[in-house]
Amino acid sequence: MPDVFKDYVKKKFSKPGPLKGVRVLEVCTLLFGPSGPSFLAEMGAEVIKIELPPAGDVTRSLNPFGWFYKEQSPMFMHINPNKYYMALDLHIDMGQQIFKELAAKADIVEFNLRPGVTRRWNIGYEHIKEVNPGIIYIEKNGFGQWGTYAEQDRPSNDGASQALAGYAWMSSFPKRPPLKQSIWICDYYGGLMGEVAVLAALHHRRKTGKGQFIEMSQTENIMRVMNWVWPYQQMTGKGVEPAGNRDQCICPADTFLCADNLLAALAAPGPDEFLGLCQAMGKAELAVDPRFQDHTVRLQDENALAILKIIADWARTKTADEIEALGKEFSFAATRLHNAKDMNEDPQRRERGFVKEIDDPLYGRYVEHEFPVMMSKTPPKIKWTVRPVGFDNEFIMAKILGRNQTQIDELYLHGVLGKWKDMQGRRPPSDWDGQAGYIIRR
Amino acid sequence: MAEQKRPKWADWADHIRSLDDPAKNFEKPEALDDLTIIDLSSRSMAGPYCSSLLAELGAETIRIEQPGGDLVRSYSPNGFMHRGTGMAYIQEGRNKYHITLNLETEEGRDILKSLVGQADILIETFPAGKMDSWGVGYDELAKINPRLIYTSITGYGQFGPESGRNQYDYDNVAQARSGVQYATGEVLPEGKTLEDMPYATSTKAGPWIAWAVSGTFAAVGILAAVYYREMTGEGQALDVSTPEAYERLNDYMLHWYADQGVVNERFGNLDTCLWLYGFYPTKDGGVFLGGLRLEMWKAFVDIVGKYDEWGAEEWTTLAPFMKKDWQLKYQAMINPETLKYTSQELTMKSIEYAKKGRLAPITPVVAEIVPPWAAMHDEVWRDRGVFTPVQDPVYGSIVCAQAQWKSTETPPRTKWACRPVGYDNGFIYLKYMGYGPVKLRELTEKGII
Repeated sequence: MPDVFKDYVKKKFSKPGPLKGVRVLEVCTLLFGPSGPSFLAEMGAEVIKIELPPAGDVTRSLNPFGWFYKEQSPMFMHINPNKYYMALDLHIDMGQQIFKELAAKADIVEFNLRPGVTRRWNIGYEHIKEVNPGIIYIEKNGFGQWGTYAEQDRPSNDGASQALAGYAWMSSFPKRPPLKQSIWICDYYGGLMGEVAVLAALHHRRKTGKGQFIEMSQTENIMRVMNWVWPYQQMTGKGVEPAGNRDQCICPADTFLCADNLLAALAAPGPDEFLGLCQAMGKAELAVDPRFQDHTVRLQDENALAILKIIADWARTKTADEIEALGKEFSFAATRLHNAKDMNEDPQRRERGFVKEIDDPLYGRYVEHEFPVMMSKTPPKIKWTVRPVGFDNEFIMAKILGRNQTQIDELYLHGVLGKWKDMQGRRPPSDWDGQAGYIIRR
Repeated sequence: MAEQKRPKWADWADHIRSLDDPAKNFEKPEALDDLTIIDLSSRSMAGPYCSSLLAELGAETIRIEQPGGDLVRSYSPNGFMHRGTGMAYIQEGRNKYHITLNLETEEGRDILKSLVGQADILIETFPAGKMDSWGVGYDELAKINPRLIYTSITGYGQFGPESGRNQYDYDNVAQARSGVQYATGEVLPEGKTLEDMPYATSTKAGPWIAWAVSGTFAAVGILAAVYYREMTGEGQALDVSTPEAYERLNDYMLHWYADQGVVNERFGNLDTCLWLYGFYPTKDGGVFLGGLRLEMWKAFVDIVGKYDEWGAEEWTTLAPFMKKDWQLKYQAMINPETLKYTSQELTMKSIEYAKKGRLAPITPVVAEIVPPWAAMHDEVWRDRGVFTPVQDPVYGSIVCAQAQWKSTETPPRTKWACRPVGYDNGFIYLKYMGYGPVKLRELTEKGII
């Protein structure tokens, strides 16, 4: 272990986040939009989430089979930590003006709306550029800002991207219908890639002073991930088909049913790894079998299916934990399949601080995933969770725009600023004392 | 594609296109052209994917392989090779300079240290401890170059009880460890066994998504570390574990179990949290249907002509539809309706409904579930520059997924697809080490490059 990671978790709060001093405005709902700014917030940026009052982000209503945490959507909590919550009506002129004042003092603004909407609200790239030429402005949606699908005004979301990219098609077992992922992969992954674009733009601005406009289609973005698929189709003239749990490009790499009816995944393509696996199976001779010796030859379908059958028969005689232990001993990759229980109980995740407890003034203690890049000098960290709609209005208006309480009350009167609707997920949790979590108390 | 009437905001579309069309990428500057990256990745595609993302933005990226080349060059379906390179690496060798260097030798390690002295970022994917055992771990290299951003992407991280494992990081193993695979897949009907239906089990995603996610998180971390370094002059070490990175995108499962003791189980092509949200069969395949607002769900019911029969007028909230039993009940009612149409017919019905339906402009999301073959031949993506082939001097015309985002100032771009092993030894060793042909011959003879 490099010395710099000694006591990493313990010393996290003695170091700053890497994006200290960066200010972000987000006008985003659901998952694709808000996930990206969250990653920045976890790395220390000041992120102001702007919602339309009084109902705010739709995600506040979503839940697994009816389970809410203190009346809040667990999805909303997971996707929106560390932000400041402002409710501003962008349909009206005064709301748009305030947005522009904030944008003049921001580094990054993020949207996920249909094409043309920001312009209709007078906060399009051209409008913001006038008040802040260095602004980094990103719009994320299903089909981008131009092109046939965008102009058809098609609505989109994660599942549509999985369908349209061919991602779902190649993720089932052979001859089975396409399979949707259990996570909203195109949303989250789009949000993540969007920050590659934004942070690169930030570097460029540092060098040149120039901002930029960025647009991302989540379907196009997920196709970038499917790398080998495209030249394979081009060169062989054949479409890529699904292969279940078998990795089509690496052999052996698959998931196997074990003696205890649990599943274990393993991979052993390298010569040393493959030899280790063969030894673990008590069949060292397979490592020099001409069908299997060389990885490229082993990958040929006939050979690949033969070796996977041998491994599958062997795996059925071992428990999943035994296979994982043999992987450790013989240095090939192997793991028992993990589920939500493992995620909670595994000491590795806890000791790395990847799974940790949040102590939130409104929502109390609960478990959360930390940002998954451990940075020795600038540890990213989740500190607090979500807030009711418009919860931090007073703080943002005072801190950034210097408005006093009389001026703020005037804005409420005109419906420019708003507070939460008396509705699940929008209002504070029922045990809230009327004060906890407020930065400016009245 | 049929002519369509352009929307009212077509001038906006034209304006943005004039500013960010990928066809004009090469007229624009590059965001990261002041950075030098050393990519030492071994066996994992997370590292090369990470360095690809940065190389697409202009970073000068030196890919170091052991003499003979890295195992990733052999990754390919059915063992299919093009000029000695597999289909995976022919995508992720993009924009990089390829050199060889034997790190098992002291002279090789000395050369690495010299390169590190001139680099900004290093990426490696060896099992934790390997670099240290060679004397080129972070603690050593930071002494040579305190500004270095040293990035490790591994299966088990640089610290923690499992970090001592001498195992490489593979995508399928990471998917299995992330919790995502567990909850994805077809449901095994009651009374059936896996012997009857071996496909009704936990199922990983087909693409290397765990590797892509950890590589992208690493790229985000690197760029944030660059930002910090520009302010303070300080480099640092980054530690990414692939299963953790992918698990971070796993949403409510952790919390649900902690609070309720519920283990999230497979729910097939429906969604535990969302309605309307799932895959449904059509006459010629299948579609995704989505409508996370009550009106969108009602609009869908209207499209299939069941608005009155199912009593849509009376619905006031989506909440009960998210419950498991209602989801299964309505799924069974929807299936025969979608089967009456082709995927294209349903898609067009949704687009038309947005104009003329009783709830217009509200309309459900309808998207055909296409094979990757159809995606690659879709004119809309081609028009947007996603599949523009790269004219590679060694490998010829290669279709590379690119233009994953577009921008007015510093868009990503692909210049070449890949390079053979050691192809750039001459250029890079001359540029960074001053080694000419005589020295290179000597190093080759000693097995160092």
